[in-house]
Parts: sequence; structure tokens; C-alpha cells
Amino acid sequence: MDSKYELGRQIPFREAAYLDDRQWDEWLALFSTDCEYWVPSWLTEEVLSTDPQKEIAHIYYASRAGLEDRIVRIRSGRSPATTPLRRTTHILGSVLVIEQSADSMKLRSSWSCHVFEQRHKKTTTLFGHAEYALSLQGDDWRIRAKKTVLQNDYLPSMVDIYCI
Amino acid sequence: MPPIDISDYLDDRRDDGVFRVHRKAFSDEALFELEQKHIFERTWSFLGLDSQLPKANDFITGSIGRTSVIVARDPKGRLGAFLNACRHKGALVCRTESGNGKYLVCAYHGWAYNTAGESVDIKDREAGCYSEGFDKDDHNLLPLPRFESYKGLLFGSLNPDVPPLREFLGEITALLDLAMDQGPQGMEFVPGRIIYTYDANWKLQMDNGNDFYHLTSTHPSLMAVVERRVQAKAGNLEAKQFDWSKRFTQQGGSFTFKNGHTSTWLNQGQPENRPIFNTLEEAKSRIGATRADWMLKLRNLTIFPNMQIADSTSLLIRTFRPLAVDKTEMRVWCLAPVGEAPQIRAWRLRQFEDFFNVSGMATPDDTTIYEDAQVGFQSAGLEWLQGYQRGMKAETPGANASAAELQMTPVASTQGPYDMQTETCFHATYREWGRLLQTGIAGTKPYGI
Repeated sequence: MDSKYELGRQIPFREAAYLDDRQWDEWLALFSTDCEYWVPSWLTEEVLSTDPQKEIAHIYYASRAGLEDRIVRIRSGRSPATTPLRRTTHILGSVLVIEQSADSMKLRSSWSCHVFEQRHKKTTTLFGHAEYALSLQGDDWRIRAKKTVLQNDYLPSMVDIYCI
Repeated sequence: MPPIDISDYLDDRRDDGVFRVHRKAFSDEALFELEQKHIFERTWSFLGLDSQLPKANDFITGSIGRTSVIVARDPKGRLGAFLNACRHKGALVCRTESGNGKYLVCAYHGWAYNTAGESVDIKDREAGCYSEGFDKDDHNLLPLPRFESYKGLLFGSLNPDVPPLREFLGEITALLDLAMDQGPQGMEFVPGRIIYTYDANWKLQMDNGNDFYHLTSTHPSLMAVVERRVQAKAGNLEAKQFDWSKRFTQQGGSFTFKNGHTSTWLNQGQPENRPIFNTLEEAKSRIGATRADWMLKLRNLTIFPNMQIADSTSLLIRTFRPLAVDKTEMRVWCLAPVGEAPQIRAWRLRQFEDFFNVSGMATPDDTTIYEDAQVGFQSAGLEWLQGYQRGMKAETPGANASAAELQMTPVASTQGPYDMQTETCFHATYREWGRLLQTGIAGTKPYGI
């Protein structure tokens, strides 16, 4: 594969590593400022929601500003759900290239995230797949849109951007 | 096991200015069974909203305590509620959370019912060599002993001897109306399901839904985020979230009611941050200026024992269901006016997700603390909790001037500056909790019916 597209295909892996390593600034920098970040809810057991303007989402941000809020909250040190910070490990399976052009790529990854909550010695696992729309900005790929499908949506008592 | 004495869990001595709840009320495993039997199986529980079943043969499933329940709309448009258990071998008849079907067919041996709950087919009945005794039996789905609605809110009871729903809700209907009358065409649940669990007792959520006192200490991280939005105009401005610093200068209070219902309220410093603000003139013309103004205030309520309405940010209905003494299932819905303008609806969703979702920025801090409290409740020597006494000197019996504005007569009222952060609102729920357990243990009927 062309090295340019191989760099694009690595974006989901880099995103996972930045979250697990708590490199929040590097994580934010993967996203374009106008990125859409969406974790849709399920409407029923089998039907996923399709319109975040009409249906509730687990998380929906129309730009990176919402993701920046999350980092402000984590760094505040004043969120009981966030201190001590849960340890996470993302495991990515397949990362498929769905389409590519000169300056854009679409990827589909499958993921799981193991979350260890230290106070109560409790481990939870969330899993699903994610769709990435990337665009080339200069020499770097940026995430223009990310849609994360959460398959086990009977949720634990806390879910944050680093748990998915 | 020695008989349970409720005075070991609840120390309610009004004349001495004492109201204490024992840590074991949240952690004693024996109570789980008693609460199921004497509370959830003996009074009204919230099941859903009629807008979830708009068409003939629509159904939803839900639960009352441990009991799975079907609510269905029959071909004539009538709603009914039934135990979700096949008369043959007890398997769930409706195996999904919602659906539509002329016939509800058990997947085990194929017994079929219509959406009025009537048995319409017993598979291979003729060849079955059934006895006359079987033929004489009724094979319909078992209807819930009581099923009624108030302004679209559907409630059921496994106990036939409960007062009519309207009477059970009593004076808190004035506050329910402030939620259910927000839309000129009625109210609906926004599609999409948010369900989560936490590893702690259900009554922690019941308390927290009316707990002003925790906000500044549990949610400072969200306040930091909102402060940055306000001052730096940075972050998720789309949510148009409330600026908490503007709330702490407001007057507020509480109203408690019969049958365990309770509420808290706070005046509104930022009415323009309400999704209904732009349609308020319509609301005024329909329900009057006073009630429309009350719709803008922050109002939280508990309909004992399983439902809360929070109108602190965008409007929410939540249910809590104990799965064990230390595990609770939560379901939350975004409640919105039918026919709301699309851009307002989107804003409402963003405000809701920001605060109320378990993947949002406030609720996870609450659930985390519930789990911490559940560990604390194991502490031998802790005994009586002191978290039920703020506001006691401010409590007045009956209606105060604010209740009178709504022509409502609560059991008791408090009012004062935000800092009072009254805890008297919890008294009604624990008194009813204790009363239902006590009458249940004594073998007497809870409502004298």
C-alpha cells in the first residue's frame, strides 16, 4: 500500500494509543476543528439511530470543541468519576479501508476497550466498531468525522471518550 | 432471620427535630426482598408514555420490580397491560422492548394472544387430549390488576388494592402538569435508548434526584467546563448549558407530598437557556402566565417508588429498578413537546446529553459517588446517617406562598436561598418507604382498601 494511505490507516491505532497513554493534546490534534464526533444510541435491539438532530446520542459533538470540553473536565482533577483516572487498553482488530481518494479516506475499525476502575477493582469492557472519515491537511491525515457504534449499550456506571 | 423492625432503619422523631436513615437501609440484603414484595409489588409503578404506542397493535415491555410487563394497544385503540409471561410455561411472550403485531406469540410452544391479551390459539389443541379441567381454565394473558394513565404517563400496579392513580399522585399532579403540558400537541419521548446500571442501592438515585447539596462538590468539573464556555466562548456552546454560578443566587425550596412523592425547585436566572423559552407565549395563552413561568424554573420530582422527572437542564424522565441491594438499573428518556421545531429539538438533545447521559459530564460523577457510598455503608460503627436534616427549621406544614401560586397543597414546604439546599424533601419518600414495609411486615393493607 502507498505509504500515504498506510499513514491514514494507522490513525485509529494512534488514536487508541493516545487515549490509553493519556496524551490528550496529541489525541485532540488528530481531529480537525470542524470534526463531527458521534456515538449514536440504539433505537431498538436491532436498529441504530441515524439522525443525531432527531434522536438521542450517547455523545454528539458537531465540532472538536466538545472533545476539548472532555479534556478540560479530565484535567480539572475535580470529577469523582475521573479521579483516579481509570486505566484503559484499546484493542483494535480489523481496520478496513472503505474508500480512498487523493485527499480523503474512509476507514472501518473494530474495537474493544478494557476499562479498569481502581477504587472498586472492577473491569468492564465496551466494544463495537467505528467509522472514520479522514482528510489530508498538509502532510497529515485528520479525522473529519468519527462515528462509534457501541454494541454493548447496556452501559456501566460511567462512559467517557477514553472508554470507547 | 429475626423479624425486621423498621425503626432500626428509620429514626423519624419530628418533635425532637430528628430524621435519620440507617446505613443498613441501603446495604441490608434482607431488605431487597422486602422492598420488592411490600413496595414494588404493592403500589403503582411508572411503565412508560402513551406516545410510545401510537398505533393499533403496538406494544412495549417494561417491568414492575422483578415482574416483566407488556403494555399493548389493541385494534380498537385501547391500552392494556399484562404480565409478560406465557400462561403455558411462563416464558416471555414479548421478547423485545417494543414492537407491533396483531398476535403476540410465545416462542416456546406457540401459544398466541391478541393485543387485548386474549388467548387466540393454543397450538395443536384438538390433538392435545386436554382434560375438561384445562378447557374450563382461562388462558388469557394475566392483566395487571391495575393499569391507569395520567396525561399520557402510564402506571401499573400488581396490587389491586391501590387508590385510583389520580388520587395516588395527589397534589404533585400540579408539578407533573408543568412537565406534561409543555407542548400544545402533547409530549413524547425522543427516540433512542439510554440504559445503564450502577453498583449501589436504588435509593441513592432516589435521593440524589432532589439533592441540591451535592452539586458544588460532586460536579465542579462540569462547572469548570461551563465556566470556560461562558468566559472563553470555547467548548460545546451548542448545548447552551446553564451557568451554575447564576443558580447559586436564586431562591428555591421543596414540597413534599402524600404517598412518598417529593420535589425541589429553584428560580430561574437564565430562562433563555430553556428549550421551551421561545414558545412560552403559546404556553402562557394555554395554561396562564403563572404556570408558564413555573415551567421555566428548575423543578425535580420523585414519583415514589420508581420514577423521577428532572427539569434542571432539558426535561428528563428516569426510572430506577433495583436488581440487587447493591445494583440498580437506570433508564432515562428525553421528554419533549410533540411538533417541536427541529433546531430546538437538536439543542434540547445536546443539553440533555451534556448533563444527563451516563456518557455525559454530570451523571457519571453521581453514579461513581453512589458506588463509593455503597462501600461506605459496609462500615460497622457508622450507623445513622446525618444527611437528612438540612432545612428542618425552615419547613412549614402545608402550602407556602409558592405552592399557593400553583393552587397546590403539599404536606410540607420549605423555601429559602439556594444555600439552604434542603434535605427535608427526602422525608416523604422515607416515611412512605417505612410505612409500606411496616404494613407489609405486619400483614396489613397499605392503603386501607
